[in-house]
Amino acid sequence: MCYVIKYNLVVRFGNKDLAKYPFLKEAFSYIVKYDFKLEDLDSRDYQHLIDKATKKIEQYLFFGKCEYQINYSKTHETIVQEEVIIFIISLLLIKSISIQAVTKKFALLESMRFEKYLISDLNTANQDDKTIKLILYKIFEDLFSTKILLEVDIYNFYKIRITDYLDHPIAFQEKEWNLVNRTLHNGFVYLDGTEIVRLFRNELYLLIIDRIQKMSIDRIPDTIMAISKSIKKRWEQMHPSINEPAYNVVTPPCIQHIYDQISKGENLPHPARLLLGTFLIYSNKTLEEMLDLFKRLPDFDEKITRYQLEHLAGKKGSSKRYYVPSCEKIKLENLCYETRICQGISNPIQLVRKKSDI
Amino acid sequence: MSDTSSFDFNESGKNGKHTSKYQNAEPDDKNKNWLEGVFRRYYFYHYSQIELGELINEHEFGFRLFDGKIRRHLAFNDKKELYAYIIKFSPSDIFYSSSRYQNPKAEIDQKGWIGSDLIFDIDGKDLHLECAQSHNLVLCRDCSFISKGIIPKCAGCNSTRLQIIDMPCSRCIKSLTGEVKKLTEILKDDFGIVSESIFIYFSGNNGYHIHVVDKNFYGISAQKRSAFAQYLMGKGYLIENLGIRKNTDGVLTPMHNKVQYNQGWRRRIFDSMHLPIQNHRIDDKFVKKYVRMLDAKNNNTNDIISTNIFDLSAKIDPNVTMDIHRIFRLAGSINSKSGLIKAFCKDLDSFNPFVDACFVGGDSNVKIDSKLNIKISLKGKQFSLKPGANTIPEYVAAYVVCKGIGDIQ
Ligand code: SF4
Ligand SMILES: [Zn+2]
Ligand SMILES: [Zn+2]
Repeated sequence: MCYVIKYNLVVRFGNKDLAKYPFLKEAFSYIVKYDFKLEDLDSRDYQHLIDKATKKIEQYLFFGKCEYQINYSKTHETIVQEEVIIFIISLLLIKSISIQAVTKKFALLESMRFEKYLISDLNTANQDDKTIKLILYKIFEDLFSTKILLEVDIYNFYKIRITDYLDHPIAFQEKEWNLVNRTLHNGFVYLDGTEIVRLFRNELYLLIIDRIQKMSIDRIPDTIMAISKSIKKRWEQMHPSINEPAYNVVTPPCIQHIYDQISKGENLPHPARLLLGTFLIYSNKTLEEMLDLFKRLPDFDEKITRYQLEHLAGKKGSSKRYYVPSCEKIKLENLCYETRICQGISNPIQLVRKKSDI
Repeated sequence: MSDTSSFDFNESGKNGKHTSKYQNAEPDDKNKNWLEGVFRRYYFYHYSQIELGELINEHEFGFRLFDGKIRRHLAFNDKKELYAYIIKFSPSDIFYSSSRYQNPKAEIDQKGWIGSDLIFDIDGKDLHLECAQSHNLVLCRDCSFISKGIIPKCAGCNSTRLQIIDMPCSRCIKSLTGEVKKLTEILKDDFGIVSESIFIYFSGNNGYHIHVVDKNFYGISAQKRSAFAQYLMGKGYLIENLGIRKNTDGVLTPMHNKVQYNQGWRRRIFDSMHLPIQNHRIDDKFVKKYVRMLDAKNNNTNDIISTNIFDLSAKIDPNVTMDIHRIFRLAGSINSKSGLIKAFCKDLDSFNPFVDACFVGGDSNVKIDSKLNIKISLKGKQFSLKPGANTIPEYVAAYVVCKGIGDIQ
C-alpha cells in the first residue's frame, strides 16, 4: 500500500507542512525550481535568512536551547523556500566551522526541533489527515528504510515489523524501549505517535550529520565564511581542549575512549556516563572538575548532571554509593577497549592503584 | 544451562556436570560396551529414524563418544556419509547445528554463518517442580550410594558431592507440556508465527525443544534473538506499561482514561488478573475492579502483578535461543542420559514420551543388576525392579543403565 502512496507524494505535497521538513527531497525541489544558487547568498536579499540561521545556531551552541520559530506570515511557496534555504545556510555554517563537537551539538538540537514538529503533527492529525501520514511514510521509508503502517481501526496506533523495530539501537539502549516493554501483536510492534518519532531521533540525528559531511566546502560564500569564523572563535574560547592527564598517570583504555568521545562531541550512552562518573568520583575529582568534562556533552544540562553526579557519589537521594563497574560488566556494555596494560585486572581502578603504588 | 540440547568445548570441564558417565571408564567397562552395542544396533537398523533436512552439508555436526571424547566442527556431504560415521563410532550423543554455514568445518568465527531457525529450550530442571523433589534420585560420587528424593547429604557417607538423576514422572511431563503451550501461544499471538512453522520435540530426557522455521526470523542476529528471549520471559517488564503509575504516596494507581493498545503482555496480564479493558482504555469499570481487587488481597499490587508475570512467562533457557552457534541433539538420535529418543511431537497433547520416545526394537530380555527398588513404566508397561538381578527387555535395561541406577550383567 505504501508504494501507491509513494507515487502520489510529489503531487500531493505543496503546502506549508513541508516547511517543517526541509531535509526532504520534495522540499528541496522548491528552491531548485527557482534556480537558487549558493553564490546568491552574498546578495542582500538573503541577509534576513542568514541572520535567522545564525541566531538559531548561536542559541544551539552557546545556550543549548531552541527557540526557533517558522515564519508563517507569507505565501506557502515562500515559507517552504525560506525554510529550505535557512536549513542549507545552517549546514554551510556548521560545515565551515568544522569542529566535530559543534557538528554533533547542532545535529542533536536540530533533530530535536524536527522531532517536535513531527510529534505535534502526528498527535493533531485525525484519521483522514492524509498529508501528515504521507510525510510520515515518506520520512520513515525513504530516510530510515523502515515501513510503518497505520492501524486504522484502533485510534492512532502505528505498527512496525518486530525485526525492523529491533534495527533501531534505542531498542537495546533504553529499558522502556526494550522489546519486552513494547506492545507486540501478530508480528508487529505498536507505537503511538510520540513514540514512533522518538524511536527515530537517533536516525534523524545521524541523517543531519551525514548531510553536513557530504557538503562540499569549496563553494562556501564569503558572507557565510565570515560568520562561521566568529562563531568558531567564540566556541573555542569557551571550550579549550581537554587538558592532557598529568604525567605518569595511567588512564584505563575504556576511560580514555570516553574522553576521546567527549572531545569529538559525541553523545555518551547512559552506561558510559555511569562509568565515567564513578571513575571520576573514585579519582577524587571535585564536582566542578567533573562538570567541566560533562559540559562538553551535546545534551548537557547542568542541573541534572550535578544531581546525577551527587547521586553517584552517594550524597543525594539514596545514600547508596555507586562503585566503578568491573571490567566484566564494562565488557558486557561494549565499553571495553582492552590493551596490554589491562592484563590481569578485573576493575579499571586497579590501573590507577597499580601506578600510584610505584 | 540446558539439559540435553547442547554442549560446547568448555562443557567437558565443567564440574563433570555434562560429561559422559564413561569418560573415566575402563576400556572394558561392561555398561559402556553394552550400551555402545545397543546404540550401534539401533542406528544400523533404524538410521531412517534420524531426522535430517536438506543441505545437511551446510550444518555442523558434533558427537560425544562413549569414551567421553568430543568431536565438533564436523560436516558431511550427504546422509550416507553421516550414517556411516554414526554406525562406525556409535556415539553416545549426536548433535548438529541449527545454523547453516558456508564452511561448517571451520572454527566458529570462520564458518560463514548463513542463518538459523529460532530455537527454544524448556528444561524440566528449570521448573523446580515439587514432585521432582521426591522422585528424583541422588547419586553419591564418593560411595556411589543412591538415595530417593533430593537430599543435601549422602545418607551413606555424609558426603556432599552429589549428583542428581532426573527421573521425570507423568506430572513432570504435564507441567512441561503446559510450559510449551504457554510459549507457543506467545509466539503465535505476539510474534505472528503460524502453528505450521512451530515444531516441538521431546528432548529425550526431561525437556522440550521448540523450533520455529520461519524465513522472517531465519537471518536475525544473536542480539535480536536475545531480545526475543527477554520478551518471552517477561524479564524487565515495567509496570508502567500497564497504564499503572506510582502516585506521590508511592501507591500504584491506574491512569484513568489512558488509551493503550490492549495486546501483548498488557492483555495477557490484565486477562489473568481479570481486569476488564474495553476499547483499549482504562475506564471506570476497570478502576472499580482494580480497587476491589486491592481490597480483597492484602498483598501489594507490585507483588500481585509480578506473580502474574512470572506465571505467564515462558520458562525458556535464554542462552540457547541467543547462541546462534550452538549445536543441538539430533532428532531421532538416542539421548545417553535416558536411552530415550529425541522425538518429534506431532500432537503435543497425545504425546507420551515414555511410549513414543522409546526406541523401536530392543524387546529381547537381558539381565541387569538394579541398585535400588524402583518402578519404571515404558511402552505402556510397568516394570518393578528389585535390588539385585532382574530380567527385563533391552529398551528398559537401556533406560536403567543410562540413568546409572543399574548395571548390565
Ligand atoms: S580491561 Fe577493564 S580497564 Fe581495560 S579497557 Fe577493558 S574494562 Fe577498561
Ligand atoms: Zn556417599
Ligand atoms: Zn514429577
